[in-house]
Amino acid sequence: MTVGLAAPDGAGIDLDGIDLSDREFWLQPPAVRHAVFDALRRERPFAFYAEPELPWLEAGRGYYAVTRYADVDAISSRPAVFCSGSGAVSIIDMPPDINEFFGSMISMDDPRHAKIRRIVAKTFTPRMLERLVDSVQQIADDVADGARRKAEAGDGTIDVVADLAAPIPLRVVCDMMGIPDEDRAMVLQKSTIILSGGDPELVESLEDFAAAMLEAGGALSDLMNRLAAERLADPRDDLTTALVRSEVGGEQLTHQEIASFFILLLVAGNETTRNAISQGVLALSEHPEQRDRWAADPELTRTAVEEIVRWTSPIGWMRRTATQDGEVNGHRFAAGDKFLLFYGAANRDPEVFREPQVLDLARDPNPQIGFGAHGPHFCLGAHLARREIAVTFRTIFDRLPDLTVSGEPSRLRSSFVNGLKRLPARLGER
Amino acid sequence: MSRIVVDRQRCASTGGCEAVAPDVFEIADDGELVVHRPEPDEGDLPDVREAVRTCPTLALTLVDGPRPG
Ligand code: HEM
Repeated sequence: MTVGLAAPDGAGIDLDGIDLSDREFWLQPPAVRHAVFDALRRERPFAFYAEPELPWLEAGRGYYAVTRYADVDAISSRPAVFCSGSGAVSIIDMPPDINEFFGSMISMDDPRHAKIRRIVAKTFTPRMLERLVDSVQQIADDVADGARRKAEAGDGTIDVVADLAAPIPLRVVCDMMGIPDEDRAMVLQKSTIILSGGDPELVESLEDFAAAMLEAGGALSDLMNRLAAERLADPRDDLTTALVRSEVGGEQLTHQEIASFFILLLVAGNETTRNAISQGVLALSEHPEQRDRWAADPELTRTAVEEIVRWTSPIGWMRRTATQDGEVNGHRFAAGDKFLLFYGAANRDPEVFREPQVLDLARDPNPQIGFGAHGPHFCLGAHLARREIAVTFRTIFDRLPDLTVSGEPSRLRSSFVNGLKRLPARLGER
Repeated sequence: MSRIVVDRQRCASTGGCEAVAPDVFEIADDGELVVHRPEPDEGDLPDVREAVRTCPTLALTLVDGPRPG
């Protein structure tokens, strides 16, 4: 399905011809997708879609696509009525064990969610992250220098995704967890598969996708079980040690809970920040005056990071499922109804953001909900991600001021992750 | 005089408040939120208000008057 580019605000789009479950829709350029979101937000704020077909699972009765900021926030902030435990990261219901294996706390409700979240909370606070700052800077310097060397050794080009955006968050998460160097390439490859959304370049067919997911999850889980055992015997100053030793209210995390949380961290910590960085680089190349302003003014960093997250909204949606009948902002729903909270659409809601289609790095206030709206599942890694994005862009301005995007981005075919697979760039005279 | 009230049912220890007002809020080692200055100084108030406004779980409120009793 392709949608011609209608008026920029989505006027004139035939919404009957739009299917958000059609994977091809997600390959369209952002301008087209946002035009459709604009039309949905205005005309069908609770548009209903059939579930995408997957060969090995039975589709449910469909879902509502929530595109207005106020509705996303209302649903997100009532976790007892709109739960995550039926699955937050897939549209079709997964068998419960798969759900937990891949979803960990993100697909759990209280009281289990609260238990795990309290155990890990301390490790992700700004205070703890202060200790990491130096290492994020060091990693970014290192990666930027590597990109420079690659360009100089070759034809002057790099891939922003593979050479900048992917390695920085990967090394940060792996350092936090204490993953040995020799396992890191495997970690990157497996987490990419888990979040590929079945993109044909990454997995051959949808049938293979199920097998590839399980294989990837199994490999990561094996790695974590090995590390957990090592840290119990020989504690270190890393997150893995904190997790195997932590107790809340006399309860410890089981090995399975630790392995699943690791998988969540690897995936949630890598694929998200990576796409904020790569699409941030793309956005700045499309708005050179904004780029120059930020490069010249480090004070702009706080608001600039929020605007990059709003603009890129790397996580497309999270799902909630109604636990009872009810009504939200005038929309009636029944127990079992599914809602996809489309953060990228909410983040351009003109009711909340003045000139939402304008990239404004000085936007303030900026109540963007790229890290999730109000509610107990609000992104655990938000402080870390902000830091990574800030450090990465300052490092690009300092060490790679001559970076220019030199070709078309190649997009990931996924509704869940708004991502780039490749973004060609050149280092050298601008 | 204003006072910070934490709804412990809602608080999920996201650390958002600590990011905004680190002198006032801290997530302790056991994952619970500790409020170091439940009756914040005048100078803390702007940050505390920001923390209350941005708390992801809407667990914080700022009420007038000292602790009852
Ligand atoms: C720009 C980067 C990032 C974005 C856009 C992002 C976005 C999100 C979103 C939308 C949620 C779900 C909120 C909900 O269901 O209400 C979430 C949850 C989560 N994120 Fe992030 N995230 C990012 C970076 C990170 C990083 C770096 C980490 C860890 C290293 C991380 C770890 C998590 C975890 C563990 C959860 C589940 C929290 C829970 O269920 O309580 N994220 N994130």
